[in-house]
Amino acid sequence: MADTETLLAFKAGRAFRRGTTNFVDPNPTKGAILLTMGEDGLLHFMWKNRTNDHVEEDLILFPSDANFVKVTQSSGRIYVLKFSSSDQRHFFWLQDASSARDDEFVNNLNGYLQDPEYSPVWNSSSQQPQASTSTGSTGSNSQLQLNPEQLAQLQAILQGTRGASSQAPELSLSDILTPANVAPLFTSHPELIPTLFPHLPPDLPTPPSAEALQRIINSPQFRAAVSNIDQALRTGLLGGLVTSLGLPEEAGTGIEPFLRAIQEQADKERRDSGDQMDTD
Amino acid sequence: MSGDDDSSGWQLTESDPGVFTALLQTLGVPLIVDDLYSLDSESLAALQPLHALIFLFKWIPTPENAVAGTYDPDFPGFFAHQVVNNACATLAVLNALGNIPSLKKGPQLEELMTFTTGMDPQTRGLVITSADWLREAHNSLSPPSAISLDGLGLPKRSEDAYHFVVYLPVMGSIYELDGLKPHAVKHGVYDESGEGWLSRAREVIENRIATYPTGALEFSLLAVRDDPLSTLESELNALQSAGKQSEAAELVVRIANENSKRERWAFENSLRRHNHIGLVYNLLVALAKAGKLEPAKETAKNVMKERVEKAKTRGEDMDED
Repeated sequence: MADTETLLAFKAGRAFRRGTTNFVDPNPTKGAILLTMGEDGLLHFMWKNRTNDHVEEDLILFPSDANFVKVTQSSGRIYVLKFSSSDQRHFFWLQDASSARDDEFVNNLNGYLQDPEYSPVWNSSSQQPQASTSTGSTGSNSQLQLNPEQLAQLQAILQGTRGASSQAPELSLSDILTPANVAPLFTSHPELIPTLFPHLPPDLPTPPSAEALQRIINSPQFRAAVSNIDQALRTGLLGGLVTSLGLPEEAGTGIEPFLRAIQEQADKERRDSGDQMDTD
Repeated sequence: MSGDDDSSGWQLTESDPGVFTALLQTLGVPLIVDDLYSLDSESLAALQPLHALIFLFKWIPTPENAVAGTYDPDFPGFFAHQVVNNACATLAVLNALGNIPSLKKGPQLEELMTFTTGMDPQTRGLVITSADWLREAHNSLSPPSAISLDGLGLPKRSEDAYHFVVYLPVMGSIYELDGLKPHAVKHGVYDESGEGWLSRAREVIENRIATYPTGALEFSLLAVRDDPLSTLESELNALQSAGKQSEAAELVVRIANENSKRERWAFENSLRRHNHIGLVYNLLVALAKAGKLEPAKETAKNVMKERVEKAKTRGEDMDED
């Protein structure tokens, strides 16, 4: 594995969730977190056991998918590796006797997690990060841990097609369906408002109205639903669902295709109703 | 069904008084759940008759070694273990209801409680979790899974990090019922006079809050209490008949507040049950027809760019909401 390059390394132990509780117990085994660029061109986040030199965890990370965040409710130096694409959580605690360089390591780690091309910032007073032994020396199993979405993306990349984007998204539905964007519709195009009434909850305690609609759009429940739909669209797997809305299957492959299909649909409907009016 | 290993078909619910109260209604129990903003005697007195307190807090990673109070393996009341994480809110409710004497219950709940009499906490927890009707009642207040978001590996909402603990009086002592602890925890006897059990419960809860560094603990309190509406209405009738206008006016205000709270709960619950895809789609079509979708897209792109830049400089994660 001569082509693997260690980007950074620092002493850290693992911590594990206690059963199904929300408590995390640090495990005393001495270890290290190593971030490497594998010869597969992918970023590897590894945890190595320093007592037997085995790499016991090897996670492949996609750019901007993961973040290494301090657990603020804890007084210790406990961090969690969390993903925007799944609810995997890996907990660690920093083991270097001094915490003076904690921020330095963590900031650089997050820099790489966002973008493998990141240029690390090391304090001039400190040396290069400890790359303890050659990282390629993994005689043990490196378990690839990919959730189904990442597997699909990986397959798409390997087949040379573009699957759902795991890069930082370009835009979010939550920023389009804001009260600020929707409110002007009520005054500029009041005739469009009743078209929305059939889609309000059937058991709403108040009858459908523009006020009810405003209230709904401002509600946390609606915003959560928009956020869910946004995330579901980003997986690119909603082809089946969108056809039930009368959209082509391609519209379920991402947010841009979804919005494009909607614009086309709207233009078509406007043209059709425009034709009817012209015959007067 | 959910793609989660341990969810067993129980969906995540919000820990909101409106959600809890709707569950109580489904269970045929004439109680409501209200937010409790303070443990002072005035606030508690206003909520009487008050049957149980539910303390909910976000998860804390550092282990809490000292168990205040003592484990009571011979607890004679109702105590069930939490065996499915997502069921935690409903489990806490049942642990409360199971210990309220002379409580009117719907037939299914009555049967469930009778059936589990004498069972150990773990078995009780398993039986409760396998009650299909209960799971359906619990799930009825989360969005329908028509969108099949399960199995797509999407991040869970932060609500799932809440833990629920019930405090109530049983046979002269204050008990703490925590589905993640092996037994019910006894916190000593209380004095029936004055505030009764609430005084001791307040001490226990305040001591608990004090064990965390200030500001480190995000928590809320809920009160399980009698539904005040019918009582308020009969009081109002009595006052009006007796010609006590100003007192009657006060009650009118209280009843109006209570009703508007119920309306808000009903509104929010109907949103929770609803599949919003149709509304989202049609809103976007409306924006498109009005020529407002393109400009909204451009602004949204800029907003996202700024957000990503900020997140990069702070090294934070990208989850919204």
